[in-house]
Amino acid sequence: MYTDGGEGSEQRDRAAEERRGTAERFRKTDLPLAKLWTYYYGIGGGIDEVSLDAYLHEALDIPAAQVALIAMAMTELMEGEAS
Amino acid sequence: MTAQDSSAGSFEAAPREVPQSVSNIELRLQEMVLDSRDVVGFLTDLAVVASSRLSSPDNRIHSGVTVIRRKRAEAVASSDAAAHALDELQNSFGDGPCLTALRAGTTVLVSDLAVERRWGAYLKVASEHGVSSILAVPLDLAGEAEAVLNLYSGRSNGFSEDDVSTVEAFASQAASSLRLVLRITQLSEARNDLASAMQSRTVIDMAVGAIMAENRCSRDTAFQILTKASNTRNIKLRDVAASVIRSISGEQQIVTYFDE
Repeated sequence: MYTDGGEGSEQRDRAAEERRGTAERFRKTDLPLAKLWTYYYGIGGGIDEVSLDAYLHEALDIPAAQVALIAMAMTELMEGEAS
Repeated sequence: MTAQDSSAGSFEAAPREVPQSVSNIELRLQEMVLDSRDVVGFLTDLAVVASSRLSSPDNRIHSGVTVIRRKRAEAVASSDAAAHALDELQNSFGDGPCLTALRAGTTVLVSDLAVERRWGAYLKVASEHGVSSILAVPLDLAGEAEAVLNLYSGRSNGFSEDDVSTVEAFASQAASSLRLVLRITQLSEARNDLASAMQSRTVIDMAVGAIMAENRCSRDTAFQILTKASNTRNIKLRDVAASVIRSISGEQQIVTYFDE
C-alpha cells in the first residue's frame, strides 16, 4: 500500500494528516464500526472491515479514493442521525 | 411510548395489584419479548410492571429505566411522567444513585434522602419533587449495553429488604430477556443496513461504469467525478448516481433482487 519515492514527503504528510483527521472524527461520532463499514460498502467502498478498522486506528494507509469514500460515508451517516 | 399511567405525575396512593408470583413474572417477561416491537417498548413495559408490582395504597412507586447509549445516559422508558422527569434530572446532574448503580454494577439504596450525604445537589432537587427514597438496580446486559432500573418512592424507607430482593430477582430476569431483545434488534438492524447497502451499491457501481464509458476514464476518476458532484451540490452520493442513470436511460428505479 505504501508508495515510495514517487510521492513527495509533502504529499505523504497530507495523507497522514487526513488520516488522523478522519480517525479523530470517527472517535467523536461514536458510530459503530460495522455500521460505518456497511454504509461505506454501500456507496462503493472497496476495503474490508478489518482494514477499515486499522485505517481508523492510523495503522494502515489506503488509497486516496477510499479515504474520500470513508469521509463521505461518515458525513452522510451523520446527516441521517441529525434528521 | 405506551402505557402511561393515568395518575402520572403524582405521588398519591395507587390500588395494589394482585400479587404476582415469580414464575408469573417470568412468563410475563417472555411475553413482553415477543410482543415488544422494539427495545423502548420492552423497557416501558418493564418499568410499568416494576412500578405496579411494588406500589401499595400508601406507597406509590415510580419507575424508570436509564440506558447508556453512545456514552450518554438517556432516560428511555418510564412508568409515568414523574419517573421520567426524575431520571432526566439525574442525567442532567451527571451523577446520582442510579448513575452510580449503573457505573458500579451494584444495587444502590437510598433509604432516606434527608439523611443521605452523597449526591447532595441532585438529592436536594429530587426531594423538592417529593421523593424520599430511591432504589437503583443495574441490569446486567453482558456488554451489549448498560441499563439501570430506577425506583422512586414518596416515603422514607419506601423499600423493604424484601422489595430490594424482589427487584433484584426481577432485574436479573428482565436482563436476560433484554439481552435477547437487543440481540434481535441488532441483527435485524444489521440486516436492514446490508440490504440498503446492496441497493445503493448497485446504483453507484452502475453510474461509475457509465461515467467511465462516457469519459474514457479509470474507476477512481469516475468515483472522483461522482463524489465531487455530491459534495458541491450537497446531495447524497446515491442520489447523484441515480440522477446519472436517469439522465442516460431514463430509468427511475434500479432494484437489486436478492432472496430474504
